[in-house]
Amino acid sequence: MNRPEFYQRLAEILDVEEVKAEDTLKDFDEWDSLSVLSVLAMADSKYGIAIRAEEIRSVVTAADLAGLVEAKQK
Amino acid sequence: MKCIFRNKRVNAILSVVPGQESRFDDERSNYHLTEEKARRMKKMMGLDRHRVAPPGVCSSDLCVYGLQQLLNEGTLKKEEIGALLFVSQTPDYYLPPTSNVIQGRLGLGHDVICLDLNQGCAGFVIGLMQAFMLLDVMDAGKVVLLNGDTASKLVDKHNRVTYPLIGDAGSVTVIEHCAEENAVHLCLKMDGSRHRALIVPGGAFRMPSSPETLKLAEAEEGVVQSLEQIHMDGAAVFNFTLEDVPPQIEEVLSYSGNSRESIDYFLFHQPNQFILKQMADKMKIPQEKLPNNIVGIYGNSSSVSIPVNITHNCGKQLRNGALRVCLSGFGVGLTWGSMVMNLGPLATCRTVEYEAA
Repeated sequence: MNRPEFYQRLAEILDVEEVKAEDTLKDFDEWDSLSVLSVLAMADSKYGIAIRAEEIRSVVTAADLAGLVEAKQK
Repeated sequence: MKCIFRNKRVNAILSVVPGQESRFDDERSNYHLTEEKARRMKKMMGLDRHRVAPPGVCSSDLCVYGLQQLLNEGTLKKEEIGALLFVSQTPDYYLPPTSNVIQGRLGLGHDVICLDLNQGCAGFVIGLMQAFMLLDVMDAGKVVLLNGDTASKLVDKHNRVTYPLIGDAGSVTVIEHCAEENAVHLCLKMDGSRHRALIVPGGAFRMPSSPETLKLAEAEEGVVQSLEQIHMDGAAVFNFTLEDVPPQIEEVLSYSGNSRESIDYFLFHQPNQFILKQMADKMKIPQEKLPNNIVGIYGNSSSVSIPVNITHNCGKQLRNGALRVCLSGFGVGLTWGSMVMNLGPLATCRTVEYEAA
């Protein structure tokens, strides 16, 4: 996975300029059920994987989320 | 399961929606949403307005209103009715079956077969399947398929996850024999191991009604619900829709010898605009062939969403001519069913507003 591209896609969903690897997702104003759905949709359409709700709840940082997607792709 | 039906056709479809329109902008304060968040939600889910039945108006009332119209105008005659199917999650009573109640209200003959089916989002496709099966074995007559749901009575108006999306509606579909082969192809799958993804946990016999099941609790801000209301695991349902439905569409296209191009419209259940756009993209179907506007006009009316989609978006075309359509319903159960068929010209295909007698 191209991580910078992933973070850029995440930034678009969260409606911010930039998302860094160490950023905590819960700290973003727009990290809510709508953005979670958008992340599920992105994971499906761009990376061809399905993330479960409970998996996304256990994720803390943007890097964790990227790691989850990578692990699923394998 | 794959099924094929021959020598049968849909003769008429009438959708009935409550006259009252409720607007998301006016409901916003019920959900404690900031203006910004409400704007995002509205845009993403395609929300604007929806139809909610007034207190005391049941699914069956919407269906009876529609059926009475078809009888009054002569599109259907009482003596032609061989069977009455009522598909709903909001019946009048635990017992008797609502189809029997409707038979009595309309004064239909004792030879009419009355059958209730507890089905939700896939309930139009399953209702058609049952109608075709009955036509195969009935001595005479047409089948009247009634789809009715008043989900507004199963959600709290302070629940921002469910209330803005739902809508109440009823529909009447008349199914009959025809001389032409007119093959209808159906692919149907069910997965009861995921039945908790969409559930009303309390109020029946597994968890009988009690002060506890009726208590409203705020799970998080703007998400108020009781155990006798709809609980939805949104992410699970979302994943299910994107993972399980597109392969079934491929399957039914190939089973029926069709391609994306040979289908005029993909008339799907209408959960929300976001998921329908995702599905269209994933299946490489042009957005204009897969309407997604119903949730923002009438709301998601469960098993009635496909008939409302048909009458609202294709009413004129189907009154005047024929279309090859792919129908797909997916949700509670979990159940997903997709059907390819030729529809039209229909004796009627329109949406009407319910008026209390």
